[in-house]
Amino acid sequence: MTRSKRPSEIAVGDDLPQYDLPMTATVIVSGAIASRDFMPAHHDKDFATGQGAPDIFMNILTTNGYVSRFVTDWAGPEAMLRSISIRLGAPAVPGEPLQFTGKVAKTTEQGDQWLIEVAVRAANSLGDHATGTVVLTLPAD
Amino acid sequence: MSNDEPDPLRARLEAYVGKPLGSSEPALAPDEVNVPMIRHWVDALADRNPVYLDEEFAAETRFGHIVAPPAMLQTWTMPRPKIEGIAERGGAPDDITFDNPITTLDAAGYIGTLATNSELEFMRYLKPGDRLRSVVVVESISDRKKTSLGLGYFVTWITTYSDQDSEIVGRQLFRIFKFDPATIGALS
Repeated sequence: MTRSKRPSEIAVGDDLPQYDLPMTATVIVSGAIASRDFMPAHHDKDFATGQGAPDIFMNILTTNGYVSRFVTDWAGPEAMLRSISIRLGAPAVPGEPLQFTGKVAKTTEQGDQWLIEVAVRAANSLGDHATGTVVLTLPAD
Repeated sequence: MSNDEPDPLRARLEAYVGKPLGSSEPALAPDEVNVPMIRHWVDALADRNPVYLDEEFAAETRFGHIVAPPAMLQTWTMPRPKIEGIAERGGAPDDITFDNPITTLDAAGYIGTLATNSELEFMRYLKPGDRLRSVVVVESISDRKKTSLGLGYFVTWITTYSDQDSEIVGRQLFRIFKFDPATIGALS
């Protein structure tokens, strides 16, 4: 991913390429430790089930990281994120692939850059894990 | 137990609003923003955006240099954990001795915790060498609500991150629902 989208190539209603994240314990633990989140619910199955969770589950920092990656994989390296706002729902657990989908909700020219608003959703068979909005900027064409 | 009854906890909870959650001192990041931690993150999340590690590539972008993945914002000021006993502390990185709404709600039986919202805002991208501080303030505590999880309160706090020059670089709003699992189905 070295080429960035030009704002002229982006229209409201465009779908982002869907991304399916295979969910394993390793994915969850790697993200938790890389984000320095040592909460046992993100690496210790006995602890997680003892708290009523079905298994260890992804921490929110990692969810935000994947949402960010999903959007910049599409927009390219010149994309600069302004915000990631998500509502949290079903847990992201091993064995439940997480499907990322997104749609361009709004585009606004702002001086020498464009503000692009993307509606994002990460869901598994349990329901919506995260839904919300990412706002990014791209340099004008 | 009805939601309309006077809430004996209300005054105590109200006193936390607008105050720091935890220590009133800002948390200083243990380390500067640095390449090894960025590399660890991009490998863990398989994020191949070249602006995070490829200096030559990044120099040609509008950033002009490599930058940290924005979602790492909270990572830089995460407290150093005391691993021994972390499960017994319910996952708290260290012994929490200060008075705060979470421990107050736990003590009152609202032991369940469900994260409901995260809103990250980035004023600028971080680069290696930046040293962050964070301050956490309780933004609001809702009235007691009846939900399918039982009775509980939405607690919202805002973390503000600033750099070595005291410039604000980012913010995170975080909301959790603290509930009493024993009150499931306690609709009046």
